[in-house]
Amino acid sequence: MAASPWRSVILTLIVAAAVWLWALVGALYAIRWSAVPRPLPPVRVLFPYGEMRVGVDASYPPFAVATADDMFGLEIDLARALAADIGVPVRFVNLGFDGLYDALRTDQVDVLISALIVDPSRGDAVAYSQPYFNAGQVLVSSEGSPVHEMADLPDHRLAVEFGSQGQTEAERWLRRLLPFTVLPYELPEYALDAARLGEAEAALVENVAARLYLRQHPAWQPTITEVTVVPFAIATRANRPDRAAVIDAALESLMLDGSLEALIRRYL
Amino acid sequence: MRSIARRGADGFRRRWRWCVRGVVLWLLLGTLLPAAPRAPLGEPQTVETDHPLVCLHTRLIEEVDEWKIQRSLQLAREMGADTIVEFFPWAYVENDEDQYNWSNVDRIVAHARNQGIHIIARMGLVPAWARPDTDDEFSTLNTLPEESYPDFAEFVADFAGRYAGVIDHLIIWNEPNLAFEWGYRQVDPEGYVRLLQAVYDAAHAANPNVVILAAPLAPTLEPPGSAAGLNDLLYLEAIYEAGGAAYFDGLAMHTYGFTEPAAAPASETALNFRRAEMLRQVMERYGDAETPVFITETGWNDNPRWTKAVTPSQRIAYTLDAFEIAELEWDWMEKLCLWVFRYPAPTFNYPDNFTLVTTDFQLKPIYYAVQTYARGFTTDESLWLPPPGDQ
Repeated sequence: MAASPWRSVILTLIVAAAVWLWALVGALYAIRWSAVPRPLPPVRVLFPYGEMRVGVDASYPPFAVATADDMFGLEIDLARALAADIGVPVRFVNLGFDGLYDALRTDQVDVLISALIVDPSRGDAVAYSQPYFNAGQVLVSSEGSPVHEMADLPDHRLAVEFGSQGQTEAERWLRRLLPFTVLPYELPEYALDAARLGEAEAALVENVAARLYLRQHPAWQPTITEVTVVPFAIATRANRPDRAAVIDAALESLMLDGSLEALIRRYL
Repeated sequence: MRSIARRGADGFRRRWRWCVRGVVLWLLLGTLLPAAPRAPLGEPQTVETDHPLVCLHTRLIEEVDEWKIQRSLQLAREMGADTIVEFFPWAYVENDEDQYNWSNVDRIVAHARNQGIHIIARMGLVPAWARPDTDDEFSTLNTLPEESYPDFAEFVADFAGRYAGVIDHLIIWNEPNLAFEWGYRQVDPEGYVRLLQAVYDAAHAANPNVVILAAPLAPTLEPPGSAAGLNDLLYLEAIYEAGGAAYFDGLAMHTYGFTEPAAAPASETALNFRRAEMLRQVMERYGDAETPVFITETGWNDNPRWTKAVTPSQRIAYTLDAFEIAELEWDWMEKLCLWVFRYPAPTFNYPDNFTLVTTDFQLKPIYYAVQTYARGFTTDESLWLPPPGDQ
C-alpha cells in the first residue's frame, strides 16, 4: 500500500493554489474597499458643538499671536480656511503649550493647529495631518558660492546663529566631513548677512528666519537647500478618524489650489 | 517490542542532538550582537563647585536606558551642580494600589549618590486607581480628589522613609495655582493646605529629618475666578490665611525671566526673575521669614520665535546675572535650579529651548557658560563674532 509519489505533490499544489487564491481575493477586496470613498458623517456629527474648536498657543509669531481681543497669524488664517472649506464656524481656544495635548485628549478642543511637530510617540492618541510647513534648517548660499549642500562644506566657512539648532547641526556635520569653519554670530540675521556679503560661503539657519530675512532683502536671490525636516502638522484625536480625514482632505484641497502656499507667503 | 523501544530511543537522541546544535547556533549568533549598554557604578565622585547655589532640574524618571541617567548625572557633576530636582510620579511607583515598584527611583538615586549629587524630589501625578471614576467625573493625571489625600500621604511617607538620609527634601505637588496642574478644576488654596496637612505629619513620622517644601506656584497674573488659575502672590497669601505655614518647612518657587533681564525690577504686575522677591515679601508679611526658599525652576528660553523667549546670547548673560543676584542679594535662598537640564525625548517645540543639553547629549553653549561660572574657570574668548561689516 505504498502511497503514490504524485499524491503528495498534487496535495501540495492544491494547498498552495488555495492559499494563493485566498491572498489574491483578499488583496483585491482590500484594494476595492480602499478605492471606494466611504461617506463621511455630516458636519454636525464631526463637530458636535456646531463649531470647529481650534486649540492654539497664540504666542508663536508669525504662526499665531494673541492681542487683547483677537488673534492673528499664519495658523489662525489656516484654521479659518480649513473651517470654510469644511463648512463649519471656527472658534479659537488659546492654551499654553503644556496644556495643548491634554485639551485635545479631554475633548476641550477638536483640533490643534499650533506649530506642532509630528511626534511619533503620541501616535496612539493623536492623529496628525500631512505637514503644512517645514520649519527645519536650511542652507542658504549666494548663487556664486561653491557651497550648495552640506557635503560641499569642507575647507569653507559656514555662518550660524550662536547657540542655535543650526550650530548644533553644524557640529554634527563636522564629525562626518573633512574640517570646515563654523562662524557663530549673535543673531541669525548676522549669519545670513555673512553669507550675503561673502564673509561665509553659506549660512545654516531656520527656514522661518531665512524666509523672514529674504523678505527684507528681495534683491538677494540665494540658493536654499533643506537640511533638516521639522514638519508642522494638525493634530486631532486618534479615536476620531473621520474628523482627521475631513481635516486632511481640506488641507489637501488648500494645497492643490495654491491657497496654502499663498497663505504661507503672506507671513513668510 | 525491543525494536520499537530502540527506535524511540534513537528518535529521542536525534532530537536531542538537534536541540544541542540549536543552542550552540543560538550562542554563536549571540556573540555577533552588540553588547547592551551598561552603566556600572564607578568610584564615588564629588562635585567641585565654587557656587553651591547652582542646581539643575532634571528629567530622568522617564529614561529607559540607565546609561543615559548616568551620563546626565556625570554631566551635571562636571558642570558643577551638586543638587538636582527630579520628579518622582506617584503613578509610576504605585500604579496598582499598595503595589510599589521602586526600581526606577532606585537607579536614579544610586547614580546620583555615585556622582555626589543631592536630590530634591518633586511628588505628584495621580495613579488611575486614586482618581475619580472617569465615567462619572472628568479627571486628568493631576486630579487628586480629597478622599485620596490619605493615599497620597501614605505614598509620600513610604518615599520619605525609604530614602531617609538620601532624599530629605520633598516638594508636595507642582504649581497648584494653575487649573491644568489641579486637574482642570477651580484652583483651591485651602484644598492644597489640606493636602499639605495630610502629608506633613506622615512624612515626618517616616523621616524626622525630612524637609517638606510647599509647592512652587506658577508665575501668573490670573485674577480670582479665572478658569485658568490664580495669581501666585494671591495664592500664597491664601495659603497663609488658611494656616498652611504649619505644614511646610521650606517654600519652593518658580521664577522665570521670560523676555526681561535678571536685573529687571520686581513688581506685582511683572512676571520676571525678581518676582521671587514679591513672593518673599508675602512670606515676611506673614511672619515666615525664617523659612528657607528653594527656587526649583528658573531660566530663559532661546527659541527663535516664541514671544516669551530671548536670543541664545541674552539667555546666557541673563542666566549668569541671575546666579550673581541670588548669591549676593538673596540670603534667604538655598538653591537656584535651572529648568531644564535635558529632555529624554524632544518636545518638538519651544520647550526644547529651555535645555542645556540636547536629547542626544550635545552640550549647548549655555552648558559651558554655566560650567565656567560654577567651576570658576576663566576665559577671554568671545562667544560670537561681531556682525558682518562691523570689523
